[in-house]
Amino acid sequence: MSELEKLKSELKDLNAEYAKIKTLPPAERGQFGREMNAKKQSLLADIARAEEQAESENISPIDISAPSAPNQPIFSPKFGTKHPLMVELDRVTEIYADMGFDVMESLQLDDEFHMFDSLNFPKEHPARDGYDTFRTSENFIPPAHTSTMQHRALKKYKKCLEDGGQIAVVIPGRVFRNEDADATHEHTFYQCEGVFVSKNATMGQMFGVLKRFFETYYGQSLRIKTQPGYFPFTEPSAELLIEKPKSLGGKGGDWLEMLGCGMIHPNVLKTAGINPEIYHGFAWGGGIDRLAMLKYGLSDVRYFESGKLDFLEEF
Amino acid sequence: MKISINALKKYAPFLENIPSKELIETIGSRLVEIEEIIDLAPRYKGIYIVKVVKAEPIEGTHLHLCEIDAGEHNSEFNQLENSLIQVVCGAPNVHAGMLAAWIAPGAIVPETYGNENFKISVRKLQGHESNGMLAGADELGFDNEHKSIVEIDPKVANPGDNFADIFDLNDLILDVENKSLTHRPDCFGLLGFAREVCGIFGQKFTEPQWPDYHPCLDLPISVQILNPNLCPRYSCAVFDIPDNTTSKYLTKDAIFLAKAGMRSIDPMVDLTNIIMIETGQPLHAFDYDKLVAIGGAKNAKIIVRAAESGEQIQLLDGKTISCIPEDILITSNNTPIALAGAMGGKNTEIDASTRRVVLESATFSLYNLRKTQMAHGIFSEAITRFTKGQPAAMTLPVLLETIKCLGVTPRSLVDDFPGAEKSNRTHSQVDSISASGGSTAGNHGNSIDKNSAGNDKNVVNSTTSTSENVVKITTENINNLLGTDYSVETIINTLENVSFKVEIVNKTQPEQLKITVPPFRTDIHIPEDIIEEVGRLLGYDNIPLSLPTKPFSGSEISPMFHFKHELRDILSGQLQMNELLTYSFVSRDLLEKVGQDPQNSYEIVNSISPELQCFRQQISPSLLDKVRENLKSGHHDFTFYELNQVTRKDWGLSQDNTPVIKTNLGIVSLGDCYHLKAQILALTRRGLRITLEYSQMAPGSKMAEQYPYLEPLHSVVVLVNNEVIGAFGEVKAGVLRRFKIDELVSSGEINLDAIINLPRNLERQLRVSKFPFVGRDLTFKVASSAAFGRFYSAISNSLDGQGLIYDVAPVSIYQSQLDADTKNLSFRLKFSSPEKTLEQDEISAIINKIIVEVTQLGAEIV
Repeated sequence: MSELEKLKSELKDLNAEYAKIKTLPPAERGQFGREMNAKKQSLLADIARAEEQAESENISPIDISAPSAPNQPIFSPKFGTKHPLMVELDRVTEIYADMGFDVMESLQLDDEFHMFDSLNFPKEHPARDGYDTFRTSENFIPPAHTSTMQHRALKKYKKCLEDGGQIAVVIPGRVFRNEDADATHEHTFYQCEGVFVSKNATMGQMFGVLKRFFETYYGQSLRIKTQPGYFPFTEPSAELLIEKPKSLGGKGGDWLEMLGCGMIHPNVLKTAGINPEIYHGFAWGGGIDRLAMLKYGLSDVRYFESGKLDFLEEF
Repeated sequence: MKISINALKKYAPFLENIPSKELIETIGSRLVEIEEIIDLAPRYKGIYIVKVVKAEPIEGTHLHLCEIDAGEHNSEFNQLENSLIQVVCGAPNVHAGMLAAWIAPGAIVPETYGNENFKISVRKLQGHESNGMLAGADELGFDNEHKSIVEIDPKVANPGDNFADIFDLNDLILDVENKSLTHRPDCFGLLGFAREVCGIFGQKFTEPQWPDYHPCLDLPISVQILNPNLCPRYSCAVFDIPDNTTSKYLTKDAIFLAKAGMRSIDPMVDLTNIIMIETGQPLHAFDYDKLVAIGGAKNAKIIVRAAESGEQIQLLDGKTISCIPEDILITSNNTPIALAGAMGGKNTEIDASTRRVVLESATFSLYNLRKTQMAHGIFSEAITRFTKGQPAAMTLPVLLETIKCLGVTPRSLVDDFPGAEKSNRTHSQVDSISASGGSTAGNHGNSIDKNSAGNDKNVVNSTTSTSENVVKITTENINNLLGTDYSVETIINTLENVSFKVEIVNKTQPEQLKITVPPFRTDIHIPEDIIEEVGRLLGYDNIPLSLPTKPFSGSEISPMFHFKHELRDILSGQLQMNELLTYSFVSRDLLEKVGQDPQNSYEIVNSISPELQCFRQQISPSLLDKVRENLKSGHHDFTFYELNQVTRKDWGLSQDNTPVIKTNLGIVSLGDCYHLKAQILALTRRGLRITLEYSQMAPGSKMAEQYPYLEPLHSVVVLVNNEVIGAFGEVKAGVLRRFKIDELVSSGEINLDAIINLPRNLERQLRVSKFPFVGRDLTFKVASSAAFGRFYSAISNSLDGQGLIYDVAPVSIYQSQLDADTKNLSFRLKFSSPEKTLEQDEISAIINKIIVEVTQLGAEIV
């Protein structure tokens, strides 16, 4: 006999026992009725439980590997996708903004003044060619680096200095290099520029800020180191490397070159109307594509602008 | 550039005690980025100097059967009875008695090291056992030509010696990234590199002693620089050609050159190349007699001048080039004899008949040479150095050092240095230099008085003929910018180690320093340059880290940056679209496909590809261009969008004289205009809660011209305050054919600058009721020309007028094929009273009221 049948038969017996009430003296009947009711309630609850259990036992298991039950429509939730470079750009910018940096955006067509003159590139300097810049017939320049925005940023926030504050701004944007695309080179890519100016900015602060950024971005403490670099618009200049983070499979001792940085050249400040005798600053610029490639283990940078859904739907 | 660590040790002996790992790390962090470290030792393992004892021809072949003596190593291999080792050799120059380089069985052929790693074995050739191989320069990795085996001078080695020991191949080669030294011409020589290495290890570099300058003019020669901006200094010497016969032996010089990536030519050229590798100063030799003959004048007359456009010169490699005006020419009395800095001319080439040589040591405008390099595609070791701007101070000292090393007596020495005229030299220097025949104003490079040649009165220290470059700075300036606390002693030592002269002008803190920059440091001009030297030489990695203090305040985020972030959340996150990024530059072909005028696009003049020629005027054509390949790869349900910048010439310039740039949303989806409309309304009404106006695109209208790829009658113009800000609609069938798309596609473009500041309707009309909702479907038959919106509004207005909480959803629009005059519109209604549960008769009254009102518009309930 099943558990349920046993309980049901007990209930039957209990109902039969109710008949006894008539044989009892009236004074005892109340007590007897309450006891019987309590027994009956408990028994009914047991029966309900047993019935539910029996129901579940009768159900056949689903096929968890199947997309639907037989004869049922197949439901596949649709995903929209954000471009992985934009997600990275947003994340990078968000961290800097949290650190107190304002955010500007870079222009995709600029001129010789912003791209070179305002950045202390001497006229005719080979570095102007070295950036493999595109030019239009009007001599406008699709900028080769987000540093093209430094002059605008300095001018825009100069007032903050005059009011006793600082300039702290990052400028993400799309930049261009006149080179053939291959797995590790794109003629179109994204960078994020940073500019900080105050009365007492130091190189130690620059390394401190950049270390803090990468530690936040990778969610772990990281070692940094530098290599000497050369940019006409910073003096001193350096390349910053970080120890490969654990999340990227780093085991210690591997280094990743992340960005170029340096103390803003006095001529750059001067051109923007900031007195380099009073104010100092630092600036840096790094690639976003590289961050995304490292993060997702991508080996071909050309996928980013390929417009292939097969690629984009991975993100 | 390849740097040999062993060669560096010559100038920086303390490096013997520095482990290679530490040396490389320190160079990498304080001097230059290292691309590759090449360890030569394993490449030359198992290669021995051997004596060929016997070499007999094998009949009927070009081979020789040889017996070789590898000294103490003989016993390690298969020996003949006479204890020698048998090798078969095919080289024509193998002969008994010679010393050769033997790649023993088990060793790897150096040429193949790192690639196929070809291991030499014992094998049979023509029936004879051959152990290992006698190697040629190519197999040893020093030359490309496969001619003969190398022969080794018995004066330098004995049988059994390790080849690597004799030729200094237990060495590490650093391949450094030239780009990071663009501004450091001094580092393009071992001397300068070693100076820096001393500096970063806190060691004092000992400057070499340069020979003194004794001007002389035995063989007449004059130098005239027409434009000192093109050629700041030109020094040259004339001498009788030394014994220049190529040695039959493999020389240590050849190996030294090979380690720097260069080939051995002949002893004189090899020496000038070695001097270049050591000092960074390239040299060039002309045949003196050819030079005089070509000039047509009685005496040698060198004139340095700008080339004329189209001027021809045949270079040493046999090619004749046509000059650009930026080229600089060395001429003999105006006839070109060399393309300055790049390559000598064929007409003055040194050959077997050469008796006398003019050796040039000069420096040229790096800007011009950079153009020369690009125009003629010349990327030699010499021009690589010249394009960094070799310091004028070094031409003469290097020339004198070369003459000394060649062991020749100069017949003439001339130094034209017009730039020195302007400098603030001391009185004695002025005297000696003008006497040196350098030049006087307006009279450059006239040959010096023969009588004064060799006169001790005219001896000049060859390195001190430029003006002093002085930078003033305080210790506080240095520490404040770096964020350090370096003492004045540390700073002075650091700078003096690399040959700066430092004088403390004021000892009270902060100490004021007067720093004299050495003449070869053409990159140092301002205090920040000095700060960089101190910071870098002491190590940026030793700077204590800190963070700037900043007042609490919210960050100001670019509104467009933020708006795009919000749009991405709605479009990708809620409306399930795919965000694409496509190039900002498109082909003319793409513009023409969508009917846009390429003349209105900013055009790239130096594009690498016709695919990247015009700055795009809109985003959506780029997206349209991505439809076909995605359809082909099996995607049949997608909507692309991109948020990016666009510009057009007719938008003109902004306040800072750069093109007006706008940010657009481009959107492309499979399906008809109604499909895209639903998405755009979802974005604007639901997502952004902004109100835009829409109107039918009139064929032939100005708007239709702006969107020539949209089918006007199936397209909608988007407006804000009667200003057009975009459009969307179905792409014309003809345009789709040009893109080879055979599905219906709709496309839209909206200018985000026009909607970013529109008021947001944040007020919510909550359709929440305590009482149950009633659902009803209603279908009306209307004229097929009637607008859907009229009936939809009428139903909504009726429910609204009856004080109900309601929702009206369109269910279907049905047109029977049998009846072209009418269509059926079906709606799903949902309503509830805010006050009570509606009774059946109340519900009927509500529905009837709707039917009456809609019927008045010409509809008939079905």
